[in-house]
Parts: sequence; structure tokens; C-alpha cells
Amino acid sequence: MSFDAIVRGRTSGGRLLFTTITALSLAIMYAPVLYLLLASLNPDAQLGLVPPSRYSLKWYFALLDDGRLAGALKESALVGLATAALATPIGLSAALAYRAMTRLRGVFLLVILSAMFVPGTIEGLGLSATLRVVGLAPSWVTIAIGHLLWTLPFAAVVSLIGLSAVRPSTIAAARDLGAGPIRAFVDITLPLMRTNLISSFVFAFLLSLNEQARAYYLAGRQNTLPLYMFGAMNSGASPTIYAFSGTIIVVSVAVVALVFAGLVGQQSRRPRQAPGKTSY
Amino acid sequence: MVAEIEERVVPHEPGLRESVDARWPAGFLLALPSLAVFVGVGFIPLALIATWSFWSFDPDTYWIKPAWSFASYAALFENGRATVFLRTAGLAALTATASTLLAVPAAGLIGLLSGPRRAALLLALFTIPFFTSGLVRAFAWRLVLGRQGIINNALMSLGIVVTPVEWLLFSDFAVLLGMVAAYLPFAIVPIVLAFARIEHSVIRASQDLGAGFWTVFATIVLPLVLPGIVAGFLFVFVVAVGTSMEIQLLGGAGASSISIMINDVLRVVNFPLAFAIATVVITLLTVLIIIANRALRLSRLFESLGI
Repeated sequence: MSFDAIVRGRTSGGRLLFTTITALSLAIMYAPVLYLLLASLNPDAQLGLVPPSRYSLKWYFALLDDGRLAGALKESALVGLATAALATPIGLSAALAYRAMTRLRGVFLLVILSAMFVPGTIEGLGLSATLRVVGLAPSWVTIAIGHLLWTLPFAAVVSLIGLSAVRPSTIAAARDLGAGPIRAFVDITLPLMRTNLISSFVFAFLLSLNEQARAYYLAGRQNTLPLYMFGAMNSGASPTIYAFSGTIIVVSVAVVALVFAGLVGQQSRRPRQAPGKTSY
Repeated sequence: MVAEIEERVVPHEPGLRESVDARWPAGFLLALPSLAVFVGVGFIPLALIATWSFWSFDPDTYWIKPAWSFASYAALFENGRATVFLRTAGLAALTATASTLLAVPAAGLIGLLSGPRRAALLLALFTIPFFTSGLVRAFAWRLVLGRQGIINNALMSLGIVVTPVEWLLFSDFAVLLGMVAAYLPFAIVPIVLAFARIEHSVIRASQDLGAGFWTVFATIVLPLVLPGIVAGFLFVFVVAVGTSMEIQLLGGAGASSISIMINDVLRVVNFPLAFAIATVVITLLTVLIIIANRALRLSRLFESLGI
């Protein structure tokens, strides 16, 4: 995918209108969260903004003493790591399968992506009922099973994007020089896809970390972070929930921004094959 | 998805396609793990609950027993449940419409009017929130829209209103705002992918023939990106139908949705009814996606990613 400012010159107000609507869209996506971040720095128990001179991390320090939070954090980390550790290689294998397929690849892609559109409540309900019959007790394992289906489409797409940058001619060259298919994969394909595999892992981890609807049905006695937060948000919120929300947002945004920067950096470091554009 | 693919790698080299063909069992083997997850975790549970939706509640075990009945489907039309279906679909359609209206100009700015750097930055800005907590993003609206929120404070200090505006929070308005902010990326990404497929020469040609920006946009660009627009609308609609947290955090008293209704029905352990609701939703969504895919060849959108 490549963009090139394909319309240049005068736009009769089009550029202004598009820019305004884009700014408005970004504002509704970011402004409430920014406001929450600033409000979390207010040391008073009352909600609202205070002048920057009074900013305080009081509520953030209060988080450290919350035992239930620590338990939820541990549970979520366990689920997230297990989910990402499974989704990344399975997503890679799906991407490799798609590339190797000649027939039915459109259907295969649609099947893999369809999991993205199954409502979380319904997937959670179906899976928890099935696991009940199978006899698997709810725990972090059952949540990770549910999250694997939810994160797999994203892991597969990130791997597919990475794989599309591995030129078949490079692989063919390695094979001509005597490398077997596995050797070529390990020595050529995997290193070229390193950034995408890291991204795939991080995205799967974050999607799992922030998922609530499936976890609601699949969790055992120990809550995950979103389940803990949902409870706190609906029970006369103490200001620590603002601090906690702030922490989650800042950490997630920072991690995703780093990953995106890595992906873009990798693209620009990659040597160009030939000048000019291919037109597909 | 921000990554720009400069080199399209479809095997041009003669002989390569044959070598891929010869390896078709490898493709099949590689597909096995993901298909196993799809079937084992996705398809089988949904097929099971579709079956169990025709069973009956068993008061002895607080579970279900294989006594076949249509009672759960008849119950779908009782206690205002059909209204919840319609309301959920209506709110999702409204969310999808608003998201699409915002997404077309935003995707246009990214796909038509920006250079590669700014396009990547904007696309990143629109996709980053998706990977953060939806719960926190919905909750943040409470602080903005509440009685003591920033909007009411501003309106009151400016003297525009005397008492806080009540309908801002715990209302359909708040839910709509929260859902549009949350699911806008689902509309933007397919539309951006559609923009990326436009042949630059077509635009140049129409401009050389004297067409202004709006003529080019309305007569050339919009028809070309229409599949992306419909896909974007559909993606937001499908995701919005399934969600519950925006309504639970921002909706008014008694506001419901299909997902909340399922939770409520389970609270009184009416498993067959919960399964019936889920089955109807999954069936309708599947039909919708299959029709859209037939009409628009949705999987083709992904060709823009170079995959």
C-alpha cells in the first residue's frame, strides 16, 4: 500500500473540509481520554481539572497498595502472554498457508478473518457452555482459549503484510544455492519478518489484555483487569480508577506507537527493488 | 496495517507458480493450526449452542436436557425482546452511518491528499486507539459528558445554560458518541484500502480533461471506493451489534442491547433462550457478510495490502 498525494493543486475547499472532518474525528477519539488523563492528576477527591501547579501522582501511588488490582494484573498478564505466544506462530502459519495456496485462498482468508466479527458475548457464551460440557473448569486457560480466536485474525494479517515483503525470488535464490525449504524459511523468511512477528505478538497481547466480553464468561474466580475495572467503574468510582485507566491507556498507546514506528522504519530501510511504481 | 508495501510480490518469475503449485500439501498443512482454532474454538461452540437452543431447561441440573422444543424461539417475541433486537440494529445502523460519514473524508485525506509520511501518521493515529482499552475510552466519556463534566461546566460558565444539560450522559446520544469514537477505525481501514487501489492515471486523465476536484471526487473516486465504503459501514454495524460496554457505561436506565439481554437471560439461568438469541444474531450476521462478500468481493480489498 502506498500513498502519493494523487490529487494535487486546487481542491475548491475539499482539502479544508476533509482536514476539518479528520480533525473532528481524531478529537472525538482522543479528547475524552486526554481529559481523563489530566483529571487523574487532580489530587482532590472531586472530579475535575486543577491548574498544572497542583498536578499530583497521588492516585497513581494509591494503586500500588491495591491487592485486588495486583491479582487481576497477574491474571491478565498470564492470559495475554499465553494468547500472544499461541496466536503469533499460528497466525504466521496461516499467512504462509495463504501464500502457498492457489485455490480457495479468498475463502481461507475470509474464514480466518470472520472471527473478528463474532460478538464477544456470543463467543464467550458458546465457548463457556462447550467447555462446561467438556469439563474444563474456568481459569486463565479458558480465557486464553477464547482470546486465541479473537486475536488470530489480527496476528494473521500482520504476518501476511510482513510476508508480502519477502520476495519469492529471494527464497528461490536460497533454494538454488542448496538450502532446503526449512533452512530457507529459518535463514531468510524469519529474519525478514522479525518486526512483523514482534508486532503480531504485541498486538495479540494488547487485544487480550483489554478484552472484556469474552473474559466475562470464561474467567474463573480470579478477575482479569477489564473485569476488575468494569466493576470499579460502576461502583461509585474512587479516583484511583482514573489513575488506573490513565496507566492502561498510556502504556498501551506507547507500546503500539513504538511498534508502528518499528514497522514504518523497517519499510523505509528496505532497499527498493526498482525505481518507479508497480501498478496493481 | 500502517506498513506501506512498496514492492508488490506476486510471483512474476516464470516457473515460480508451478513450484508453488507443486507444494499444495504444504499449504494445506500450514493452514491446519488456524483452521483447527477456527473449527474448535469458533465453529463447534456456535454449532453446539445452535443445537442446544432447541433443547429445554433442566431444573434438576440447572443446565439443559435434550427435550426438543421451539419454546425459546417463541420466547424471542415475548417481554419486548423483539424490540431490543430492533433497537440494537437501529443504534448499530446509526453508528455505522455516522462513522462512514466521518470515515470517507478522513480516508480521502489519507488516500488522496496526503504524501506517504502524513498518510502513515494519520492511519496510525486512527488505528492506535483500537489496541487500547475500549472500556477506558467509553468510561472517559462519562467525565466529559457528566453533570460536572467539562461540557456542562463550560456551558454553565459561559451562561448558556443554568442547570447542567442532563441528556448528554446516560442517553442514546452518549452511547452513539462512544460507539462512533470506538468503532471509527473499522470504517476507515477498508475505505483507505479501497483508496489505495485507485489508479493514479485515471485521476490524472480526468484532471487533464479539466475536471475540478469535486467532479473528480464525485464521478471517479466515489464509485471506485464504493465497495470499501459499504465494507466500512458493514464492519462498524456488525461490531456495534455485538457490543455492550458502551451501553452499560453510557446508556440510560433500562437501555438494553442484544448482548445485555443475553447476560440478563443467563442471570435467570435460561440457557436455551440465551442460545436462541445468540443463534439468531450469528445467523443474521453470517448471511449479511456472505451477501456483502458476494456483491463486493470483500477479500479483494486486502489486495491493497500487497498480500
